[in-house]
Amino acid sequence: MGSAAAILDHDAELMLRVKEGDGFSFGLLLEKHRAPVIHFLYRLVQEHGVAEELAQEVFLRVYRSRSSYEPTAKFTTWLFRIATHLALNWLRDRKHERGQERLDDGPGAYSRQISDRRPSVEQQLVYEVRLEEVRRAVAALPEKQRAAVLMHKYEEMEYTQIAKVLGCSESAVKSLLFRAYETLRARLAHL
Amino acid sequence: MRSIILSCGFAIALGVAVSAAQPAVSSDRPEAPRQARAQNPIDRWNQMSPDERERALAKLPPQRARMIRERIRRYNQLPEREKQALRERYRMFSQLPPDKQAIVRQRMLEARQLPRSRWPVIRREVDQLRAMPEAQRRARLNSEEFRSRFSPQEQQIVRDITEILPAPPK
Amino acid sequence: MINMNCPMEMGNSELLVAYAAGQLNLEAKMTLERHLAGCPECRSLAAEQAALWKALDAWEAPPVSPDFDRRLYRRIQEEVRHSWWERVSRPFRPMPLRQALPLTATACLLLMASLLVKHPGNLHPVEPRAETVRVEQVERTLDDLELLDQFSTPGQVESTGSGTM
Repeated sequence: MGSAAAILDHDAELMLRVKEGDGFSFGLLLEKHRAPVIHFLYRLVQEHGVAEELAQEVFLRVYRSRSSYEPTAKFTTWLFRIATHLALNWLRDRKHERGQERLDDGPGAYSRQISDRRPSVEQQLVYEVRLEEVRRAVAALPEKQRAAVLMHKYEEMEYTQIAKVLGCSESAVKSLLFRAYETLRARLAHL
Repeated sequence: MRSIILSCGFAIALGVAVSAAQPAVSSDRPEAPRQARAQNPIDRWNQMSPDERERALAKLPPQRARMIRERIRRYNQLPEREKQALRERYRMFSQLPPDKQAIVRQRMLEARQLPRSRWPVIRREVDQLRAMPEAQRRARLNSEEFRSRFSPQEQQIVRDITEILPAPPK
Repeated sequence: MINMNCPMEMGNSELLVAYAAGQLNLEAKMTLERHLAGCPECRSLAAEQAALWKALDAWEAPPVSPDFDRRLYRRIQEEVRHSWWERVSRPFRPMPLRQALPLTATACLLLMASLLVKHPGNLHPVEPRAETVRVEQVERTLDDLELLDQFSTPGQVESTGSGTM
């Protein structure tokens, strides 16, 4: 999407209105993308509070850049590029500080995340254990593989868009996903 | 002196000019959300139109939607005094940071998994600890008596809920 | 296409990933399934990938904090105010004392002038948008209320069984 004649996606149109001073359009973009961005960041950094702080920064940057915004890519590509960049920086800073990755999201946070709401506590415990394994397996992936998987699985992005977000080639994305899924299949085969 | 007078005159003129030229912030800035959100999500849900509620529920699997409707109905049917007490407990809980909320939820879930005979024992202990001054509470939590009356898991439950969750209003 | 080349042999595992994710169109899906019927290796990978997909499906993220938007708008407003003040005050720093005194007076009067003159943006509260509550948030609140209620109400635990809500 680079030519002026290209058909803009609806989000890009909204962002152009924000550029012209339409604050309400920013609210619409926020309403639509708030949860996906936070959820993506949460699964990437696995700390809810940090995910929301990073998401705040994402939308702040979107708002700050409104006067220079040009729809050279899909809006979501731009949005997730900012989010991924901030998250990977945070992960690297934190790894540098602590020397290891932490999965701490509070010992009970995952009890809220089970999608299949069963009435019995015992079944809930089983799901919690499984979920913890999934979280750990994803957290153990190298950061770019992790980001690629999360965009592919949860945001249902195609390889071309993931490549634009990560700033790499489509074949590099295929390779990232191939290795990531191979690792995850092996690690979670027992579930 | 002259420079002060000139500066004052300039300041007034500048203030007027800036105020006139400043972009209409209400249209430039993004639209702010509703400011006062004292109600809990269930109360706000009840204020949505029936159409909006049904549209939201229709996106869920039918059984889950049915369960949620039933649970909301039971909440709505509570006596007002009970509902108010619940609202207040929820308000205090929701003011905790997300990580603390997560810990409290987890401990409460763990408490539910304990034998039912242990629930009132744990609850009484939490109530008594909350009523104590800080130093006395610390001493009790570190005491051999406390450790002998509660399993390690129960000790953690009592400790976290006492320390994180504010006491409900009397 | 009746026969297809083996995705595993062709290094095309993304086809199997797409199949496990339910992303193939009907024709491609049927073609692949005919291949899978005769290819244990592809069949095994497709099954493993489908299991992985199901495991990942169960991982929901926590709901967004109710005050997320409010915090964000506050930060945006602070930035707007700060950048305005930066632009205004930039010409006045740094300066020697004999210049600073009248300009300190300037700054004070500027503040007074801006307070006296109407600011349409800051004085007119923005009309709140009608907000809807997400059903997931309602469900979570019901869960929390049930936990809080069971733990906080003497005597209620024994009488309500699995929960009041």
